[in-house]
Amino acid sequence: MSKVIRGLSSSAYIGIIIIVAIIVGAIAYYAGTMAAPKTVSTTTITQTTTITQTVTVTQTVATTPTTTTTPTQTTSPSPTPTVTVPPNAPKKIAVVYDIGGRGDLSFNDMAYLGASKASKDFGLELVEVQSKTEADYLPNLRSLARSGDYAVIIAVGFLMTDAVKQVADEYPNQLFAIIDGYIPDKPNVLSVLFKEHEGSALVGALAGMVAHYYKCPAVGVVLGMEIPVLYKFEAGYYWGIRYGEEVYKQHTGEDIKPLNILWTYTGAFNDPAKGKTATEAQLAQGACVVYNVAGATGLGIFEAVEEAAKAKGRDMGPPFAIGVDSDQDWIKPGFILASMEKRVDVGVYTAVERALLYYAGKIDKFGGILELGLKEGGVAISKVEDLETFLAIAEQAGKQINKTEIIEKVKKMRSEIPQWIWQEVDKLAETLKTNPDVEVMGLKFSQIEKMIPLDANEIKQIREQLGVPTG
Amino acid sequence: MPSSQFWIIFKEKLERVAEIVIAIIIGFIIAGIMMWLGGYDPIAAYIAMFEYSFSLTDPYYLAMTLSFAAPVMLTAITFAVGVRAGLFNIGAEGQLYMGALGAIMVASWSLPGPLYLPLAMIIGSLMGAAWGLIAGVLKVYRGVNEVVSTIMLNWIAFWIVEYARVYVYPNPIDASKTISMPPAGRLPILIKGTELSASFIVSLVFVGIAFYLLWYMVLGYEIRATGLNPSAARYGGINPKKTMLWAFIIGGIAAGLAGVCEIAGRPPSYAITTGLSNLMGLGFDGITVSLLGANHPLGIIPASIFIGALSSGARGMQIVTNVPLEMVKAVQGIIIIALAVPGIVRLIRSKILRREVKVV
Repeated sequence: MSKVIRGLSSSAYIGIIIIVAIIVGAIAYYAGTMAAPKTVSTTTITQTTTITQTVTVTQTVATTPTTTTTPTQTTSPSPTPTVTVPPNAPKKIAVVYDIGGRGDLSFNDMAYLGASKASKDFGLELVEVQSKTEADYLPNLRSLARSGDYAVIIAVGFLMTDAVKQVADEYPNQLFAIIDGYIPDKPNVLSVLFKEHEGSALVGALAGMVAHYYKCPAVGVVLGMEIPVLYKFEAGYYWGIRYGEEVYKQHTGEDIKPLNILWTYTGAFNDPAKGKTATEAQLAQGACVVYNVAGATGLGIFEAVEEAAKAKGRDMGPPFAIGVDSDQDWIKPGFILASMEKRVDVGVYTAVERALLYYAGKIDKFGGILELGLKEGGVAISKVEDLETFLAIAEQAGKQINKTEIIEKVKKMRSEIPQWIWQEVDKLAETLKTNPDVEVMGLKFSQIEKMIPLDANEIKQIREQLGVPTG
Repeated sequence: MPSSQFWIIFKEKLERVAEIVIAIIIGFIIAGIMMWLGGYDPIAAYIAMFEYSFSLTDPYYLAMTLSFAAPVMLTAITFAVGVRAGLFNIGAEGQLYMGALGAIMVASWSLPGPLYLPLAMIIGSLMGAAWGLIAGVLKVYRGVNEVVSTIMLNWIAFWIVEYARVYVYPNPIDASKTISMPPAGRLPILIKGTELSASFIVSLVFVGIAFYLLWYMVLGYEIRATGLNPSAARYGGINPKKTMLWAFIIGGIAAGLAGVCEIAGRPPSYAITTGLSNLMGLGFDGITVSLLGANHPLGIIPASIFIGALSSGARGMQIVTNVPLEMVKAVQGIIIIALAVPGIVRLIRSKILRREVKVV
């Protein structure tokens, strides 16, 4: 009997091996075919980035007759590299992604964009390392730092703050940069931060003017967890709204009633359902522009806005939403007025550039805080031209999208709104770059800037001064 | 004759080792073909994987491998003890979450320094055990299949801990994680500049205890007897209900302890992070480890080191050969499937054997 069992089992064993081999073979074939278009799409991405620059030029001629826009600012950090790699610098750079990883259509993908541009411009080899779990941050950073092969190691995302702090102490001769993390006191760590209040002021001004144009009584903002970082967004946005109202009054000569400003903290960055409920409540109170400062919760904002518009039989806003971080205009084309872009690509590129300058001896301190604002191209309000870049990212991440249709729809939505409003927003961007002392309701923009980092009391004070319910 | 009996046992063991070696080779070959089709150099990738897990020149990587082995060693015990008692307890994941929550709970109290670690271990493992016991009670008194109940309890635990992370124990400075275990309550780092903490020793000791319990104590004998045949065990005077409950409790303690070790022994954050991203998957990896180690505590030790090496070697594949993480994960998956085949075959074989015996 035992012979029978033995025979049975070994044949079962062989059988299972064969089945597994077949399955694996199929997977391998699939992976092989997947790998091929993937490399193709990487090349398309790099191509489109170069294309966007040329598109930008033609676009400025076609859509904006005035000379207020600065096209290079939004598409590329610096069109011609002025820095060369000094002989003493290592010839590689490394990017460590957080658990979001590549394909997040936002932070990590933009970091890749910046890093690959830097590697091409400066002739450096780019090494990417993804993190499977939180426990990978420290090993990833240490493994890279140990080799000493890298001019700079870039950690993408504030989640890596603790790990970078620790490894930076252990390897004092290795340069690190952290995107969006705050490590102020280490000579070998560059903290790249963004002036979100500047970008928020721009979308605020847009929201204020558009709300009056459509004769809405209110505008809103839906936020994630109540943490001090978000106060920057709030302050900038409120200030921008009041600025926009002022401009609208002057331009049209109408006597307008100040907008009600609604704000809601949902308490979560990853809960679209909460975002939707909060937005529905604001829409019910007459808001027709809602700003998303809530990460993935914001997807619910977009949905609520789209549903509200469709319920009124429109295939475009109002009401509108405003996107955040990346150019989100394509997610619900026609319903997202614009996005407050945080140009992580610019941040990564600048960090590499700065590391090379340091090796060349042109600057004597690498570490510290690098705040990127409108002037540096670190924050911006989205333009139609940016869509090309971001749609390429979305395509690479495997989204099925119809590029031309989306671009057409966004263009159509933008043309529904008077040109002068868009021009005023661009004008504000220029103003904030040169003269941050612009005053609205007795509050200078530079005053807000000076108060940063804001705490709970300071934001209350700002809300009060700008006529926002203090909560 | 004793010598021939020894020969039979020796042959059987040798056969098992051969099985595993063949499975590893097959797994590596198939995964290598996949990498080759994807346009990467499989040999260079495997060399990099080895360099970044067992490097002969740099002890850092061996330390990293052992640090990744520690938690899965414990969650493997959860599964192994279950299998020995005839249970398919896949609840280590949720029990580990609860253990981690217990540790954070202790971290939130203000205590004299030396109390943190022992209290965290006690409360964490008790919470893990309690979570396992829910499935145990449902199984023993209500006949609820433990596969269904444990997998559901995993998700309930996930959301309870995630809720606690956001609303009960949030870090006031960094909203992405909970408060951290105070330095007094942390397991010491064994080699400076590495991730290897005393949690590896804790895991080894617990595995030793589990081995002793299963093979040299009455309870262990009862557990194994119940697993082999509950009816025969009952006939022999064993209460299978009681032993099953004990199997759930021991498994829960192991998984809970793994959760505590991840909080108290994993630099740099010593906290539960957003989406439980520092805990996720450790419980399920334990199942793989247990299967690789033939559900035997002594087999689990090398198996966990193997899985730890795959985790740390993944870095090398990315850094040296630019293989993307997705491909690395697929390679790991194929190797694990290939390794699990002998275990599954043996399971099928024992099922057939049982049926044949019944027929006879």
